[in-house]
Amino acid sequence: MEGKIIVVTSGKGGVGKTTATASIGAALALEGNRVAVIDMDIGLRNLDIVLGLENRIVFNIVDVVNKRCNLSQALIRDRRIENLFLVPASQSDNKDVLTALGVQRLAKQLKSEFNYVIMDSPAGIEKGFENSVVAADEAIVVCTPDVSSIKDADRVIGLLYARSITPRLIVNRIIPEMVVRGDMLSHEDVMDILSIDLLGLVPMDDQVVVSTNTGVPLVMQNQSLAGQAFRRIAKRINGETDLPIQIPTVKTGIWSKITQKLGLTK
Amino acid sequence: MWLKNNKMNKHNEMELGIVPNEAVAPSIPSVKLKGVGDGFLVTINPAVPEEEIYKEVSELFERLKNLAVNSKVVIDVGNVEGYDDLVNNIKLLLKSKFDVGSVTKAHDKNSTSNYQLNKQNSVDNNLRTNNNKGWISDRSDALILTGRVRSGQKIDTKGHLIIAGNVNPGAELTAGGNIIVLGSLLAPVYAGYPDDDEAFVMALDFRPPNIQIGGVVSMEINSELSGKIVYATVKDNKIITEDYIKTQPFGKIPWPTIM
Repeated sequence: MEGKIIVVTSGKGGVGKTTATASIGAALALEGNRVAVIDMDIGLRNLDIVLGLENRIVFNIVDVVNKRCNLSQALIRDRRIENLFLVPASQSDNKDVLTALGVQRLAKQLKSEFNYVIMDSPAGIEKGFENSVVAADEAIVVCTPDVSSIKDADRVIGLLYARSITPRLIVNRIIPEMVVRGDMLSHEDVMDILSIDLLGLVPMDDQVVVSTNTGVPLVMQNQSLAGQAFRRIAKRINGETDLPIQIPTVKTGIWSKITQKLGLTK
Repeated sequence: MWLKNNKMNKHNEMELGIVPNEAVAPSIPSVKLKGVGDGFLVTINPAVPEEEIYKEVSELFERLKNLAVNSKVVIDVGNVEGYDDLVNNIKLLLKSKFDVGSVTKAHDKNSTSNYQLNKQNSVDNNLRTNNNKGWISDRSDALILTGRVRSGQKIDTKGHLIIAGNVNPGAELTAGGNIIVLGSLLAPVYAGYPDDDEAFVMALDFRPPNIQIGGVVSMEINSELSGKIVYATVKDNKIITEDYIKTQPFGKIPWPTIM
């Protein structure tokens, strides 16, 4: 098997890299792929919590790279979604313990066992970022529609191009009401500055917090708009490139207003 | 005529401190023709015998017969006084033979002439760069780039900088000369680094957070000009931004001139 290594990165912290990694990984696995999600945020591990697998960690990525265990020992299998695996980060080390060479060796092994390997890069553009992108075939840049996030994403895009990786963009946390009012940048404004291929638009969704706290992947909650958006993104990654990009819109219909009042929908 | 010229050569060489060097005397054509705007600029070396000049002018205009009809011809004999007779004779010749519209003599001090009367026996490259600001012999030193300049990317050049593309927030541009952006300029720029207040910054979509020209920094950019091509220069130790199309800052320059 010759899989693909996809790095999820953003430059800025808190824009939804980990949520995106967990959601895309879970959605790709639900599509029938063998998927490994790797937490590269050494010292600040979160991906295990988002996936609800934090209680099952014995070994982590640092142990694998430093040959204290086998890859199979560190891989945690998700019990709800078949073919979804996690390699957690270490919480006690810092980002300097990994070397580019070690990550490349691990990546090669992962590539031979999985269809998709999704790496959750840490925020920043230092060693942690370098280690995350060193073996990547593709990159997904996550940004939110605010100026600081765009500026950081732009920097990361430049760094990815410098490594001959062509990134694709996810605009996260779009609040359509604010875009309509003119209080938030629209995805077109974001695209104007970043000018890379768009992979998907994800609306702001309260379910994300619920999902993170309960450890139930977003894509398993059918009500979640963000979950649906990530499922479409996973389909696009999986080869359905002609799937149209759905732009988050404000619900203004009378029926949606009634159902909202009755508490049937959000 | 030859004698007179040689005398003047000596005089000027001494004045300019250039050692005459017979060995490197360049062989330059006596008449040169350039198309400028809706007319022609004829540069003449008055040191050459008149008959030869008439012959060469005739030959040149013979080749562009149709184009010459009703055209404006400017005759440039270099930074030298006199030679009105020569110009008049050429005027008569061109009007009668080629039906040109008007013939005038160039009076510009920064003459675009390649020929200085005194240069025949001297190393004239120095003179050219000093006295001649025309685009005929000089070169502009510019870095011309295309593409998007992203956050964190830094472009630094000693000459002018022209970017065909957008400049994103977080990028940095520094140029010893002028900066022209054929796109959106959203990043701070420094033109005329380190102290050339004569430099300018121009962009099709001008939205930088601040700019610096020479030693002058501007923090607040006039947002009234959004959607217009903006041209920023230093006036009275302050950076001012103007609508380029309205102001036409280069409209008054008589000849195409090296930037």
